[in-house]
Amino acid sequence: MKILVPFKSVPDPNDATVAGAATSAPKSVINPFDEIAIEEALRIRERGDAAEIVGVTIGPSAVDEQIRAALAMGIDRAIRIDDSRVLDPYAVARILRALIEKEVPHVVIMGKQAVDDDSNQVGQMLAALLRWPQATFVSKIEFLENKTRARCTRETDGGLEVVAIELPAIITTDLRLNEPRYASLAGLMRARRKPIEILTCDELKVAVRPLTTVLSIARPPKRAAGTRVDSVEELIAKLRQEAKVL
Amino acid sequence: MDFAWSDQQRELLDAVGRFASQQLNYNMIENDRDGVFNHDAWKKCGAFGIQGLLVPADYGGLGMNPLTTVAALERIGYACRDNGLLFSINAHMWTAITPLVSSGSEAQKKKYLPGLCDGTLIGGNAMSEPNSGSDAFSLATTAVKKGSKYILNGSKIFVTNGPVADLLVVFATLDKARGPNGISAFLVEKGSRGMNVARKLEKMGLRTSPMAEVFFENCEVPEENLLGKEGTGASQFTWAMTWERGCILASAVGSMQRSLETSVRYAKERKQFGQPIGKFQLVASKIVDMKLRVESARHMLYHCAWLRGQGKSAYLEAAMTKLHISDCWVKCCEDAIQIHGGYGYMVEYELERELRDAIGSRLYSGTSEMQRNIIASLLL
Amino acid sequence: MVETLVLIEHDRQCVKRASLHGITLARQLGGEYALLVLGQGLDEIAASLVSYGAFAVIVADDPALTEPLADRYAAVIVEAARKYDSRTVLGTSSTFSKDVLPRAAALLDVPMVTDVLAIEEKNGSTSYRRPVNAGSMLATVKLESDRRVLTARATAFEAPAADGAACPIERFEFDVASLPNGMEFISREQRISGRPDLTEAAAVVCGGRPLKDKDTFERLVGGLADALGGAVGATRAAVDAAMAPNDYQVGQTGKVIAPQLYIGIGISGAIQHLAGIKDSRVIVAINKDPDAPIFQVATYGLVGDLHQIVPQFIDALRRG
Repeated sequence: MKILVPFKSVPDPNDATVAGAATSAPKSVINPFDEIAIEEALRIRERGDAAEIVGVTIGPSAVDEQIRAALAMGIDRAIRIDDSRVLDPYAVARILRALIEKEVPHVVIMGKQAVDDDSNQVGQMLAALLRWPQATFVSKIEFLENKTRARCTRETDGGLEVVAIELPAIITTDLRLNEPRYASLAGLMRARRKPIEILTCDELKVAVRPLTTVLSIARPPKRAAGTRVDSVEELIAKLRQEAKVL
Repeated sequence: MDFAWSDQQRELLDAVGRFASQQLNYNMIENDRDGVFNHDAWKKCGAFGIQGLLVPADYGGLGMNPLTTVAALERIGYACRDNGLLFSINAHMWTAITPLVSSGSEAQKKKYLPGLCDGTLIGGNAMSEPNSGSDAFSLATTAVKKGSKYILNGSKIFVTNGPVADLLVVFATLDKARGPNGISAFLVEKGSRGMNVARKLEKMGLRTSPMAEVFFENCEVPEENLLGKEGTGASQFTWAMTWERGCILASAVGSMQRSLETSVRYAKERKQFGQPIGKFQLVASKIVDMKLRVESARHMLYHCAWLRGQGKSAYLEAAMTKLHISDCWVKCCEDAIQIHGGYGYMVEYELERELRDAIGSRLYSGTSEMQRNIIASLLL
Repeated sequence: MVETLVLIEHDRQCVKRASLHGITLARQLGGEYALLVLGQGLDEIAASLVSYGAFAVIVADDPALTEPLADRYAAVIVEAARKYDSRTVLGTSSTFSKDVLPRAAALLDVPMVTDVLAIEEKNGSTSYRRPVNAGSMLATVKLESDRRVLTARATAFEAPAADGAACPIERFEFDVASLPNGMEFISREQRISGRPDLTEAAAVVCGGRPLKDKDTFERLVGGLADALGGAVGATRAAVDAAMAPNDYQVGQTGKVIAPQLYIGIGISGAIQHLAGIKDSRVIVAINKDPDAPIFQVATYGLVGDLHQIVPQFIDALRRG
């Protein structure tokens, strides 16, 4: 089975002291949800259920560091679709669709959302474009019937749900699917020998442009500072009399 | 002279720094207070590749050159605040792995090195005794060959990793009359009959690195666990020591860098008498001294490692490096506390612990006095 | 032709009230809007929706839609959008709408904006404000498309008044046989709770990792929530540690809530959690670390040991 894992390079969310503001050379990492997808693919392969794991990302050469990080974790090869534009989820989905038609994976596992944009759209859009089943916000994946179907547990607002989907399909990962491994130094050194294929949208015969434009980004208004109270009694009194919520 | 790192080295060092800062810094104050060894962190370091940095890839290591190795150790010292953990890792690398790599038989290397590299085995050595510290080769632990075994009798003190070690390199004499030439090295596994790891020793600093006294009472060691030839123990020890002296304080350089940055930040933020305290010359001067120490320590560290990589013994340089870095480290810690004033004295700020940790560096791997003797003997 | 279709969510028993807030956004966008409901056995639910000033309540009611399988639901939503020639399909943000609406958007070949907080119309073009980077920043975006799919943060829009004259209920006919068949619903956790819905409660008590275990969590966080007649939430760390189930999670990738009263117990205030609670009217924080970031957004902060404070709090509330 060939697994395709699309992943995105995002600003490090743990570097979050001044999120969104331009600090000197903000660090980038693999989108945490995509890291979970990579980890899941690795575990599936370690179980013997997959033969090849291919990673794909869209971006300029600056994202090569994240590609090497993914290779260091253990994926077999990686593809970078060279494009330095700021894309929106629908453009990403259409580009990925072209790549998928070329690579023909058995299953696509990817993060449910990127932690910078937080749109949570690409996986579902991709599934629609391919007319494939989808399982989103997944916290457990099992393959059934000789890997023609997958049983997925999904984390929903109402609790856990289980669905079974025909393959090929799109699966988007949620937080509790697994805890990604730390790439070892040996993995890092091996990664340098693994191939990174560079493709362009032209070569994939896909010409899309983003339909969403970001006009501005600003900090949300700060909540006014509150007060400290010294006891439960004082707290209750203030909630009753001042805030009037009790 | 090219002072630049290659892209590959930079990537590696960044990965080490990220790994250490995200995975190794937790429960610092409690573990120090209670003297708890962070075995989980040890295993993570092994899986990541730290313990095996210098070991040839054939035996499960990364086969890195000495310069990259010390740079990685420096980076981990910068990013990981658990000096005790790093001390345990260093003891393991220089006193167990190094002798095994240089003097071990093929069978011994294949048996122990993979586990020593990947974090599953913890190693250490047992050299010092109650009556022989600096005068190491006057040790009194005896070994007697009986059939296919060696029988060890004696007691060892200050055995780093003793309480948790799976494998100890134990130095004992087969013939006291021959002095250093009578000493042999033995690989003794945990649980060997007659080996008794006694009480854990409580230290001033490096408290998360476990240390114990170990007693040997008719301890049986199979003959295939003799390390190297009989009578080569002293020269093996000396060889391992030159590695140790040059490298064991690499992480101290990283710690000093961290103390410097912390102190600079504090000197800029803390205001007294209407201005940041960094504007006062007495504070600024300390920062300058710290900076000079960090830079000179780093240069000596790299130069010594570079010489090693060139195949030189660097005996003199190693002693100078160890002496200089340990002095710098202690003084940096003192200055960091002084700059922070009363806060520097508080456990919460983790600066007092750095000083307690640093003081040990003037004592282990040969005291500062011994280093001076060595340097003097090579110059005069 | 109906300008906007508003996807209404239900749990097979009754309407999820948060999804009604989408009607407010539809009103802001202007033009006619219809309420779209999918499922099976929807008569009562449809009847409860007639007074929201909609053009109609459009009901897609069929056994094939008993469970919210994204491939089928998206297909039906797309058919409805085409039939009514709607420029906008919207719903309020939830795992349901996020599962289904992006798929519908791609099938309709239109872009989508997630988690809309507000819109602005200027010179005939609309811009949308939405949270990014776990809500630490707000982005204003515009679309180059006159058709769109949107999800709106329910907490950013008022509950609509149900004071309109009754609108018709239209049964939406679609070709069941041509619905996709690649997904099968297997099961769902059934948990009955006496407490109000987390996204609807006026008071929410959330607990963090320091609550130690499931029993303590239920005793203290649950106990306080019950004393207030409110709902229980949890941080990601608490859910990861199995102290609370996943649907209690509040934050960037959990539920976003804006109750009248939020009480965070043993919660430090990581950005990802704050993303889910910032718009609560009153925030109370109880934490033993005086430097915890949550105190910077708390209306009232009480520093101390939660194991002492919370029982006192519960007692005091019970005594009245």
